[in-house]
Amino acid sequence: MNESTQPCADFLETSLTRPRPGAVVLTVRGEIDTLTAPEFTAATDELLTSSGEILVMDLTDVRFLASSGLAVLISAAHRAEDRGTRLRLVVTSRAVRRPLEITGTAGMFDLYPDPESACGGRD
Amino acid sequence: MSDLDSPSPADALDGASTVEVRTSASAALIPTIRAVASDLAARADFDLDAISDLRMAVDEACATLVDVAAPTSWLRCTFLVRPERIEVHAQVQTKHSDAVVSTDTFGWRVLQTLADEVTVHHDPGVDGAGPTVGIRLDKRSGDVMR
Repeated sequence: MNESTQPCADFLETSLTRPRPGAVVLTVRGEIDTLTAPEFTAATDELLTSSGEILVMDLTDVRFLASSGLAVLISAAHRAEDRGTRLRLVVTSRAVRRPLEITGTAGMFDLYPDPESACGGRD
Repeated sequence: MSDLDSPSPADALDGASTVEVRTSASAALIPTIRAVASDLAARADFDLDAISDLRMAVDEACATLVDVAAPTSWLRCTFLVRPERIEVHAQVQTKHSDAVVSTDTFGWRVLQTLADEVTVHHDPGVDGAGPTVGIRLDKRSGDVMR
């Protein structure tokens, strides 16, 4: 939970869960911008250093993605590749989908419409 | 009294509506400015992708300027709502006239992708007016019909 004494603080909430063996999900809610980027970066680090073959970032409830947030996502995609896996993103809102599309970076990730399908492994 | 450069009301006699927002140059207040950008674009019948692009572009411009702003500077963002496009002028005061906005960054390239036109202007300040840096960007309301 993002705590701040600033009256105009942004809202960002992150949580890390393991819904099934081998899958780690970072759920992000709120706005990812200059103010909340440090917290988003820290949560992303936690995801990328977790053990598991399936790494998922659930961005369903992200209402705004700034370029600084996009940079963190791209860096995370590279780090996942270093681990031999592709980063999975759950993307349903235009606020996230549009920046990925317009910058041509959507292809760096495996995109899913919901967390359940994102966590689906290869049987 | 402000003697700083800005699009004067006369510039808007071509039919543009003008909205000016001024805040402290703080990242905590940029969400408010991008909310204004979204609102104006929505009311101007921008298509949904264009609204998203404008909001992200305004955020990027403001964040870039806040980064080089003097500690006590304001951040001023003026929106000129024209038929089928919105023109945005964002500006901050800098501490020194050699404070520079780099256009060799990921953020700037994203800004160029989001906006139809974007330029940066460094003003050393004359006659007692301190140095300022401004970013101007234009965004069309939707795909151009050919």
